[in-house]
Amino acid sequence: MNRRNFLRNSLSAALGGVSIYSALGNMKLVAAAAAQQNTFTDYKALVCLFMTGGNDSFNTVVPISGPARAIYQASRQTLAIPASEVLPLTSVDGSSYGLYGATSSLDPVGTSGVRDLFNTGKAAVVCNVGTLVRPTTPEDITTPGFPLPGEIGAHNGQQNWWQTSRPDNVSGWGGRMADLLYTGNANRELPMTIAIDAEQVLLQGSIVMPYSMNGDPYGAEDLELINPAYANRREAFLRLMDEGTQRTHMLERSYARMMNRTIANYQGIAGALDAAPPLTTPFPTTLLGSALKMVARTISVRTALGMGRQIFFVELGGFDTHDNQLAAHPVALASVAQSLAAFYNATVELGVADGVTAFTASDFGRNTASNGDGSDHGWGGHHFVIGGSVNGGSFYGTMPNLTVGGPDDGYYGAVIPKISVDQYGATLARWFGVAPGNLNDVFPNLGNFQVADLGFMR
Amino acid sequence: MKSRVFQGALALTALALSCSAQAVTDEMLIDSFDGPSAGPYSDAEAARFLQQTTFGPTPADIQHLRQLGYASWIDEQFALPASLEVPYIEWVGSLGENVHQPARLEAWFLHVMGGPDPADPTNPAMIHRDQLRQRVAFALSEIFVVSDVNESIGISALAMSSYYDVLIRDAFLDYRQLLEDVTLHATMGRYLSMFRNQKPDPALNIRPDENYAREINQLFSVGLFLLNPDGTRVLQNGEPVPTYDQTTVRGFASVFTGWNWHACDDWVNCYPGPDESGWRLPMDPMESFHDESGPDVDGQGRHYKQLLVYPGVALPQGRLLEGGTARTDLTATLDNIFHHPNVGPFIAKQVIQRLVTSNPTPAFVARVAGVFNDNGQGMRGDLKAMVKAILLDPETRYGHRALPMTFGKVREPLMRLINLWRVTGSHAGNWRYSYPYPQFEFSQAPLRAPSVFNFFQPEFHAPGEVTEQGLVSPEFQIMSDAQVTRQTNDLGHRLVYGFADGGAHPTQVLIDEDADAALAADPTQLLDKYDLLLMSGQMSQTMREVILDELTAIPGGNLDGRRARVQDALYLILNSPEYLIQK
Repeated sequence: MNRRNFLRNSLSAALGGVSIYSALGNMKLVAAAAAQQNTFTDYKALVCLFMTGGNDSFNTVVPISGPARAIYQASRQTLAIPASEVLPLTSVDGSSYGLYGATSSLDPVGTSGVRDLFNTGKAAVVCNVGTLVRPTTPEDITTPGFPLPGEIGAHNGQQNWWQTSRPDNVSGWGGRMADLLYTGNANRELPMTIAIDAEQVLLQGSIVMPYSMNGDPYGAEDLELINPAYANRREAFLRLMDEGTQRTHMLERSYARMMNRTIANYQGIAGALDAAPPLTTPFPTTLLGSALKMVARTISVRTALGMGRQIFFVELGGFDTHDNQLAAHPVALASVAQSLAAFYNATVELGVADGVTAFTASDFGRNTASNGDGSDHGWGGHHFVIGGSVNGGSFYGTMPNLTVGGPDDGYYGAVIPKISVDQYGATLARWFGVAPGNLNDVFPNLGNFQVADLGFMR
Repeated sequence: MKSRVFQGALALTALALSCSAQAVTDEMLIDSFDGPSAGPYSDAEAARFLQQTTFGPTPADIQHLRQLGYASWIDEQFALPASLEVPYIEWVGSLGENVHQPARLEAWFLHVMGGPDPADPTNPAMIHRDQLRQRVAFALSEIFVVSDVNESIGISALAMSSYYDVLIRDAFLDYRQLLEDVTLHATMGRYLSMFRNQKPDPALNIRPDENYAREINQLFSVGLFLLNPDGTRVLQNGEPVPTYDQTTVRGFASVFTGWNWHACDDWVNCYPGPDESGWRLPMDPMESFHDESGPDVDGQGRHYKQLLVYPGVALPQGRLLEGGTARTDLTATLDNIFHHPNVGPFIAKQVIQRLVTSNPTPAFVARVAGVFNDNGQGMRGDLKAMVKAILLDPETRYGHRALPMTFGKVREPLMRLINLWRVTGSHAGNWRYSYPYPQFEFSQAPLRAPSVFNFFQPEFHAPGEVTEQGLVSPEFQIMSDAQVTRQTNDLGHRLVYGFADGGAHPTQVLIDEDADAALAADPTQLLDKYDLLLMSGQMSQTMREVILDELTAIPGGNLDGRRARVQDALYLILNSPEYLIQK
């Protein structure tokens, strides 16, 4: 797709055809147009946990008994998780399902924290979500010209589509949400979108540029050698950056602007974080645990930062389990579960549990078949939504039939999603405060689906 | 030869016509008769070429290049002995030290720094000079990615070094050889799951692993979408056209079955061997585990594996029929990939992006892809010819004048550190480069990318103008707020707290500031040196004035003061917008 075709960006359509990317300063016009937002008096945050590589969700939410169990066992064979290792969640369509416990001699806790959140109504499972342009049947896939969401099974393409719902990666739906809502924050200068130890496009907006931080304890780091104590050096550095923003070369200007934003954002955030009382909730001392702890710490200073709405992004790799899956997958799952459980507890400690919703995402689910010791790329997969405002304790959507070549099989074992990323995201966005009339602009494929609100948020 | 000059002159004319009169410089006029391969005509031009071909210009390199001229310098680089990693890590082992990834990183830094070898620092025959080869190998390592983040290969420094040596050796061979050597290397086999990939077992619903099948196409050869010869995407009804589909991935997956360690006779009970030949030598097949059949069936009931389809494909309809062996299937499959018209523009554009500019004009890509397709002697995939074509192309030589708004690339973070070391001649007393974990401060380390998608993707575009103009800036993907802060801080710390005080540290690479401290008595001379060696004489008057103002405010009457001037000059330059962009 010609990048200049993003002039057809749906957000610009919402603004009556004004191109966000017309030359010279139309961004201000857009910002003014978007600034219909009243200042938020409450606080809400969305936290995306992206499982990079394509989580094998069919071995995450696992049938325990009933017809689904038999199908699961027949399709997965050597990859199937024994029923005894699955923590019961609920029954749907005559089969009982649970969460793979993922315990080991080194880790007796496994994923039990998320099971507990499900049982106390704080976690929901959204079944068979994936990238879709419109509802898709197996026959559609082989129909020439039928719109499909990019290259199914390609990591970077599907990661992009999950985060952007577009064929290009100009902006992510989190960034588009921020573009619409940031004027409702008392502080409009500080980005309301923050990525921790992660590289992603979900938070990329047209106006709001996301800020990136390190996990706990590092958080926002200072450019030490241009601390105000080194006045001359600091002044020279800043003069070079200012000059840089005026240079002929576009990349020089970009770098100078990036550096100026980094400096300004640091000034905005660091003092608040340093002054915040420490959290008492324990977090796993892993990279993911540290990232989510930093999210919690940042939320704890939301008032000092002037934030009423924030969107965070963290990620964990290791899910591309082509090899050695039975050993590798439980470790990754347990890490996700324990970090999410700790994060929920921290939101309770902070008194914002009802205002914070964490949700998982991934490139794709995995193939129903085994490749001997692992699984290959799939398409649809299950995800979790966790928070005090979640209508938890339920499954949303329908569990797919994992029969090889069966009614839900799109491509040789890649299951066709029945819920689109657009619907999943729109349900979160509506709760978050995006006006219903703007949802189609944030989620360009939403209008192709009957249900815009899946109902998992209160 | 003649046709190359003619083509160059045509391109030069086109470039000149496409830009304003002011942009047609003396350089271009001087060269227009002899072509861009003539020159350099100044130290600054020489330095600029060396920025594209080495890990940082030095005065000696500049003089040598001016004596030889571009083309002969390139030829000399082609002929120099290759600096390989395996002999180095074996030498470390011979000292009684543990050989893990830190030893491999030492080898890498030694070779990209160039200079004396710690095994015999005074032996002139062991001086490492193969800068261009190391630069190209590093570029290839960001395309044909393996990573020691994967524990199955990260446990062995030999596994990683042996793989890197393939890139070093094959950088100046040919693409077909490179593709095969990469495919059959056990390190790649284990990284992307071709190793011990088995033919299907329908009873257990086991199908061949698709990992390598997918990535060899998507990342190492043809890419996701059909390309025009100039690297732009083919569009049908405004939409890009996929190069292959899931059926093709399945077909390739079946080809890549049956491969195990070198000289295995038992599928399961087989190991690299006490001499670790499994890591050193290509994988070997065991036929009973190879899918000689294929997942699809044709009209005559024959099984086949669907491969790539394109005009002129040797296999009818791109179908590899049943009945081959693991090796004959592999050969036919790599040939099938090799002859796809995408390969030239796909590979050429990425090598251009690593060496020269992030946004080459389509015409530039087309010229280089043309040389990939045919080096002038009827050979396809000649990597030396491709590299030479890139470096001598008018866009490479004059792009900074002709395309002042967009020509060039963001310097990779790790390259900035190496530039610092080379411009100051910093080294340890023992000539070893011990820096085992650069990824924390510089967001990258050789063969340590977070995934097979490298540290940054070719399509990444920074938010704002770059995105608005439809351009790309791949290296910005590892310069987020958090990352650029760490990079800036690390360079600064080394300068201010990590300098060598009275001679090189015996084992650590501290920044040698004393040679330049002598120059710093006159800050203008200091800046002249750094302007030439770090910025090819492209430092703007404004930047020079800003830095001079700051330097002259530091008293330069003693060594401490002059060192402080060196520190601030380098800190300000290495983190400046003008230096950040190699152009």
